[in-house]
Amino acid sequence: MASHGLTYDGCNFFRQRLVLSTLSGKRVKIKNIRSKDDDPGLRDFEASFIRLLDKVTNGSRIEINQTGTVLFYQPGLLHGGPIEHDCNTQRSIGYYLEALLMLAPFMKTSLKATLRGVTNDPSDPTVDLLKSTALPVMKKFGIDGDGFELKVLKRGMAPGGGGEVVFTCPVRRTIRPVQLTDPGKIKRIRGVAYSVRVSPQMANRIVESARGILNQFIPDIYIHTDHMKGPNSGKSPGFGLTLVAETLNGSFLSAEMASTPQGQGDPILPEDLGRNCAKLLLEEVYRGGCVDSSNQSLALLLMTLGQQDVSKVLLGPLSPYTIEFLRHIRDFFQIMFKIEVQKPSEDTRKGGDKILMTCVGVGYSNINKTIK
Amino acid sequence: SEEEREAGRTGDSGHCSEEDEEDDEESGDESMEEEEDAANATLTKQTASESEEEEEEEEEEGALRWKEGLQQKASEAFLRQQEAAPNLRKLVYGSVAEAADSEDEEEELGGLFRVSRPQNSKKFQANALDCSRFNPDTSHDWDLEEMLNSIRDCFVTGKWDENQ
Repeated sequence: MASHGLTYDGCNFFRQRLVLSTLSGKRVKIKNIRSKDDDPGLRDFEASFIRLLDKVTNGSRIEINQTGTVLFYQPGLLHGGPIEHDCNTQRSIGYYLEALLMLAPFMKTSLKATLRGVTNDPSDPTVDLLKSTALPVMKKFGIDGDGFELKVLKRGMAPGGGGEVVFTCPVRRTIRPVQLTDPGKIKRIRGVAYSVRVSPQMANRIVESARGILNQFIPDIYIHTDHMKGPNSGKSPGFGLTLVAETLNGSFLSAEMASTPQGQGDPILPEDLGRNCAKLLLEEVYRGGCVDSSNQSLALLLMTLGQQDVSKVLLGPLSPYTIEFLRHIRDFFQIMFKIEVQKPSEDTRKGGDKILMTCVGVGYSNINKTIK
Repeated sequence: SEEEREAGRTGDSGHCSEEDEEDDEESGDESMEEEEDAANATLTKQTASESEEEEEEEEEEGALRWKEGLQQKASEAFLRQQEAAPNLRKLVYGSVAEAADSEDEEEELGGLFRVSRPQNSKKFQANALDCSRFNPDTSHDWDLEEMLNSIRDCFVTGKWDENQ
């Protein structure tokens, strides 16, 4: 454990700093959080995130100054167990869940988190996306079994929310190193078109237009329509689409779009949404790799925390968020990845450049896990 | 290395590392020289009786021809290298050239209050929205047939490698 902590400026990459701090046991101090803003300090959703972190850990010390522009965090032990959390509706549950996915395998007892709030909004990965892509990524690293699932009980669109999801995850003592260098070809496309508090016909219109674009590549497309009613439909109307392309080697590439939240900007037609989302999926296929762009940092974290062995993962171009995550991994775990660019050969039509990430795990073992 | 050289010679768009680049230039030189020799050979056949001076002149001209468009060639090579993979490791882990701290620029009003200017570029980034989403490249227009063709082999319906 480090004697001195790390210091950062600004509220960007807030979650990765706190998550890595919790896993590494290093203290972190974040200064100048919106210090020049008209409304300085931490926002409600960040406060809500800190409360969630406090719920899953035991013995964390959190200090925030009067204006909320400075945060000091001394991590405790990851406890886990059953927790319930009302996620602030400024951000969707995906915002909170992304961090929980990173922490969950390293708890003392297996996590059963009931999260309430906005399940789908346009800015963060939705719970549907995480369910169909993040979970398969974690399975590759040996995190699977009975109690590993993410269930959407109620759907709640932005801005009202009212959704509910349950995430359960077993604990692991060590993480398996992986060699994911060949994604294989895409064998099928699956998806969920959801609609709440609007006509169920909306979902069908989305499916129709998305299929129109994707059918020229592959015939095996099934987009499930999900219309939740009554108390399961949350507080705001809306609709959206999540598309997932599955490859022969079990990699998942995804794209999604959600309708504009009620009262914020121009409404979008379901046909346009379907088409645009299908194009986003094509963009994701162009980027390619064994892990899609929204789960890059999760995969890199699990590689870092693996046993002391070489892990390789082929990715598409690194997102700005991932690049910052790599820098944070270096700060907290002193691990630097080997980054190699793989150019596709001229005659193949397999999209853009791929990036092969290689590292040796730190040999992290979950000291919190109880031995039965 | 023969293959590499071949690839270098065709000079395919930005598909060469630094080594290839050198190869390219070398092979370019060689081919130039070969041409020169060939030209000289024919010349000597035609004008066998002519004095050696002229031959030297011819050689000089050849040398000058070799120097033609050197700047352009260099700039092309540079651009190709720029297009080729940037050193990602440097990009990720290299030291960030930090913009001069604007803290000093703060004006003072009556020697008592400081005017704080919110959201200058660096600070703005530090306080940007914490979001993991990777926005798509806007230059890709997925209505175009060539764009669609660029990913066809990613699907099982596309072309397969022979060993698969």
